[in-house]
Amino acid sequence: MAGGGRGFNGVSPVEKVVRYTLLVFVLVITIGPFLWQLSTSLKGIGEDVYTQTPSFIPQQPTLGNYAEVTETIPVWAYAGNSLFVAFIVVAGNAVGATLAGFALAKLRFRGSKPALGLFLATLVLPGEVTIISQYVIVRGLGFADSLVGVALPGALQMLNVLLMRTAFLSIPKDIDSAAIIDGATVWQRLVHIGLPNVRGMLSVVVIFSFIYAWDDFLWPLIVLTDPDKYTLTVGLQYLNGTFTSNPRLIAAGTMIAFLPIVAVFAVLQRFFFKGVEAGAIKG
Amino acid sequence: MGRNWVGLAAAAVALSTLAACGLGGPETSSAPAASASGEVKGKVSLQTWALKPKFTDYVQGVIDSFEKKYPGVEVQWLDQPGDGYSEKVLTQASGGSLPDVTNLPPDFALPLVKNGLLVDVAAADPKVAEDYVPGGVEGYRYAGFDGVYGYPWYLNTDVNYWNTELLTKNGLDPEALPTDLDGLIAQAKVMKERSGGKAYLMSRKPTLIDLTNAGVQVMAPDGKSFTFNTPEAAAILDKYRDAFKQGLMPRDVLTTKYAGNTALFNSRTVAWTTAGGNYITSLATDNPSLAPKVVPSPAFGTPPLYVQGLSIPKSTKNLPAAIALARWVTNAENQAAFAHLVNIFPSTKASASDPFFSQSDGTHSGDAKVIAFTSLAKAKILQPVQVTQAMSDFVDQQFALAISGDESSQKALDDAVAKCDQLLNG
Repeated sequence: MAGGGRGFNGVSPVEKVVRYTLLVFVLVITIGPFLWQLSTSLKGIGEDVYTQTPSFIPQQPTLGNYAEVTETIPVWAYAGNSLFVAFIVVAGNAVGATLAGFALAKLRFRGSKPALGLFLATLVLPGEVTIISQYVIVRGLGFADSLVGVALPGALQMLNVLLMRTAFLSIPKDIDSAAIIDGATVWQRLVHIGLPNVRGMLSVVVIFSFIYAWDDFLWPLIVLTDPDKYTLTVGLQYLNGTFTSNPRLIAAGTMIAFLPIVAVFAVLQRFFFKGVEAGAIKG
Repeated sequence: MGRNWVGLAAAAVALSTLAACGLGGPETSSAPAASASGEVKGKVSLQTWALKPKFTDYVQGVIDSFEKKYPGVEVQWLDQPGDGYSEKVLTQASGGSLPDVTNLPPDFALPLVKNGLLVDVAAADPKVAEDYVPGGVEGYRYAGFDGVYGYPWYLNTDVNYWNTELLTKNGLDPEALPTDLDGLIAQAKVMKERSGGKAYLMSRKPTLIDLTNAGVQVMAPDGKSFTFNTPEAAAILDKYRDAFKQGLMPRDVLTTKYAGNTALFNSRTVAWTTAGGNYITSLATDNPSLAPKVVPSPAFGTPPLYVQGLSIPKSTKNLPAAIALARWVTNAENQAAFAHLVNIFPSTKASASDPFFSQSDGTHSGDAKVIAFTSLAKAKILQPVQVTQAMSDFVDQQFALAISGDESSQKALDDAVAKCDQLLNG
């Protein structure tokens, strides 16, 4: 590129500047608050947290806040509880949404249209509206105050089913028809034609449901009574007590809770961006 | 928080629906299911709101002494996280699993009272009105419902806090602080001129509390309609509108919600805020270099009274122990011990003569404690408990419209009253 003439895909310097300015602008407004949290979590006890112009460089940097968080609450036990819930939710969504999405996209059966309509209808209701009846049901099933009860309602999310349905729909009909002519059963069509083409979307579903399960606060709070069973988001609330809330500790707790999400994304991001190309359909 | 409050409103609606269907199965008779005058023993549960881990030792100490006093009683202590507490309580109520003694501020208790889920403690324990300060007991009386639905626990009020550094830098005297709204506006003008509009004195728009303070009757005595669309109320809004027009308040105040004034104060944009008696102590954690420069003064007009209390659900299986425990936690000694740990104030009459509260240790935080304590004698609950978060939000928006000049004050008030009435009876 250097010094050469510009081809069709070349970008004029002015446009380049504009593009980068916009990108940097968006970057700043998205990660600004995050960086502020990070810097707050590293600030010493003698430093002001709230200032007229936010300062991002801690004057008295310390890791003491992180140590204090782990002393105040059993972070590892809570993280373990969160992982358990996240595992059930991710597994439920990966399997359930794939099967349901495939059925809705590729199988013809009586009532498939109304079924899809019902799936869409549940998306309209905000979770808060149904939370009490949901609690009464989970309690009736005997899962009150248990991690299974926390995970169950999120273990199959309608949005994920719709995402998987869309992914399966994008596989051309011809490929599927060819398989049917070759005598493939429904399972074979799912495993050999469907799945290889929806890996990208599947990783999206995994990441989304992991973040959902990991970040959920209100539902675990309502289901759980025993503090030993708290998930990390609920347990971190102990840092924010009546008359006592040290913003540095809260920020450190937030950072601790954030790490696993980074880890999951880091592991899955190559599927996230590349998965779609890996199937049989190219170009 | 905003999202949670939407949830609360939705949950409250769901709760009343459930109760109406009888799904929650609450007893609607006013007599408690169990007898109050039994022996104090067996299991009893206590639910507090975000007191762990800072007050773990204190609460555990209170529980241990209770178990020692009544051998054979076993207390299970649950401490709920701060966020989402209202939703937690509402789901516990609809599931019939409220702990025997539950910490509920008056506005959280209201939906439960409406559904007949709480014990009238005045009926079960006639000495309530004798032992606790009237303001505290008043907090748990509801228009349209007979009885008292909670033991008053700790009290707090608002105190004015001033940033002396900003005041002196801009030609104002920390010894001659404003004592009412007009004084505040006058000094705010000086502040604006001297600082070239960089620092402010006024930090918030008015709330229903300010209207009550100006003698406006916010609600009809029967608690069934709102009445704050009076010319006096419009006059208050006009004062704020003029102040806003002259640039005496940061623009943010129109959009910020409750506690926005404290945030502006913490960042040294404004030199005045109102907050509870404990504010300087918590500021010392947030902004250590600001805390020593802050001085307190009494709130303008009638100070607001904030009450926490312990309620007992009708579903309790151990009423004698629940009453004994609620009384134990709220007795004068235990409340005084609590108040020594943090700037809160006991609701027991016996504590009024405790010199600890009327003598400052010389620090600004100590002064704030004494100011708050003396304010409590005349403090009142200024915002009716019927006002839900949804109503406050709407009122807030209407006040913002009036102050920005987009709408006349009277029209904003009329709209706010109409909407609040609709939410109240809807």
